[in-house]
Amino acid sequence: MWAIARMELKKTVQDKGLWFWTFILPIVFIVAFVAIFSGEENASYQEIVTQIIPGYTIMFAFFIMISMVIVFVKDRERGMVARIASTPISVYQYFFGKWVPFMILVLVQIAVLFSFGVIVNDLPLGDPLALLVLSLALAFIVTGWGMAMAVIVKTENMGIALTQVLALGGALLGGLWMPVEFMPEFVQTISQSLPQYWALQGYKDILLSGSDITDIWINLLFLIVAGAGGMGLALLFYPRFLGHSRS
Amino acid sequence: MINVEKISKQYGSLQALKDISFQIEEGTCFGLVGPNGAGKSTLMKILSGILLDFEGDIRVRDWKVSKDRLKIKQHIGYVPQEICLEETLTARDNLLLFGSLYGVKKKELQKRMEEVFDQIGLTERAKDKVETFSGGMKRRLNIGCTLLHRPDIIIMDEPTVGIDPQSRNSIFSLIHHLKKSGTTIIYSSHYIEEVEQLCESVGLIDKGRLIEYGKMEDLLERYAKPSLFISGTGIDENLLRNFGDVEKKGNGYLLNSAHPLLTLKKLVTHCHEHNLEPHRLELYHPRLEDIFFHLTGTQLRNI
Repeated sequence: MWAIARMELKKTVQDKGLWFWTFILPIVFIVAFVAIFSGEENASYQEIVTQIIPGYTIMFAFFIMISMVIVFVKDRERGMVARIASTPISVYQYFFGKWVPFMILVLVQIAVLFSFGVIVNDLPLGDPLALLVLSLALAFIVTGWGMAMAVIVKTENMGIALTQVLALGGALLGGLWMPVEFMPEFVQTISQSLPQYWALQGYKDILLSGSDITDIWINLLFLIVAGAGGMGLALLFYPRFLGHSRS
Repeated sequence: MINVEKISKQYGSLQALKDISFQIEEGTCFGLVGPNGAGKSTLMKILSGILLDFEGDIRVRDWKVSKDRLKIKQHIGYVPQEICLEETLTARDNLLLFGSLYGVKKKELQKRMEEVFDQIGLTERAKDKVETFSGGMKRRLNIGCTLLHRPDIIIMDEPTVGIDPQSRNSIFSLIHHLKKSGTTIIYSSHYIEEVEQLCESVGLIDKGRLIEYGKMEDLLERYAKPSLFISGTGIDENLLRNFGDVEKKGNGYLLNSAHPLLTLKKLVTHCHEHNLEPHRLELYHPRLEDIFFHLTGTQLRNI
């Protein structure tokens, strides 16, 4: 299990493209959008950075699903899935080994983007424990959904397309690009069914209102249950995924 | 002893395997021969514990696959048809991964990795990334990944596909070495010469069914009678029919008769009397391929 995690982490570190998508591009977006909206008269600078930095952090966290799809589909097409299935490790160990590096990567991504926000934009942090737990829940849902997507999709392109729909559609409707309060009522109703909304509201509550874990438990519950659903789907579809693996 | 008991496997409406049963003695090499799509890889996947939804059972010693799958997997090494390696990592990293997956402890694993690199002839390239290797080197490393936990049974699914003769010979030497050390080998291929060269017993598989299995010499004894091969100017089917049953083979004819040596003598006399000059006239010892053709009506090579 740890052998798979170690190997996956090593591959991830070597992947320069992933570094660009995970760290550089989100920082460029944050810098650009904070600069564009900082002259806004109707909102304070603090309101702007607490909308933009967590918003783009959440949006780019969802893009980890693309990397997960690519890794799993490649493993299936090279026959690695079947080969690992011939060893004595269980399905749970296999998934755990694959999941841990992506979980770490998303947590590092959140830490880097928030640290950037603190250093460059005076982003307030609020309760550190609440921030950590919410970030864990966010990493859990994106990797859980990523795992499900990776196991269910038939091709890499299909996975990339679906991830973009989920990440960009979710960003738009979940209020990551503009506060949901500015959207029509029916869109606000839709927003509440999206993890992006619950993650962003949780961050805003911690950063702006000083909320702690007890105040954001509904947000955490939503994210954890949705993430667990993704994990469950991945396990459910694993036999089909293995059946399609070359060997 | 490995007992394969009435294995059947269905993919949707396709019957991939039907009632396959055979036994393999431990310490021997068992060859599985059949054309592409015959069901060899499916059977190999079942034998190595990858596919679980099948009918029938497999017993390895006193263990049943249906109950003791994890225990059996510790004793099995699976060499897949595909090269399943992490190309962006080094050869050492790949061995480290598979050794760890079989639970070999770190200190012992280091020792075994040196041994395996030596066995597969890649000691000098241990620290190089796999993506820089030739096809043959990747194939050898693919096998090496299977040896670290010292399995009693090694399942090899077409391990020599698309490699150069030098790497093929190296793989054959390795297999001979493993056989000497008492490892049971299940070897699937559609290269009949490889199976003839390596295996003591063989199973012939076609369209998901085991057509025949047994010791190589028994099968040859049972199905293959020596015949005569003849080719040359003026040698035709009509002439040869006077001496026995004739069938076309390559640029000549196979002449089957109850007493090939006697027929050979008669044929030589006939050619001498009629000034015929055969280019080739020899006793033909049938091979596994001929048995396969005899039993299925299908040529392995044409598929």
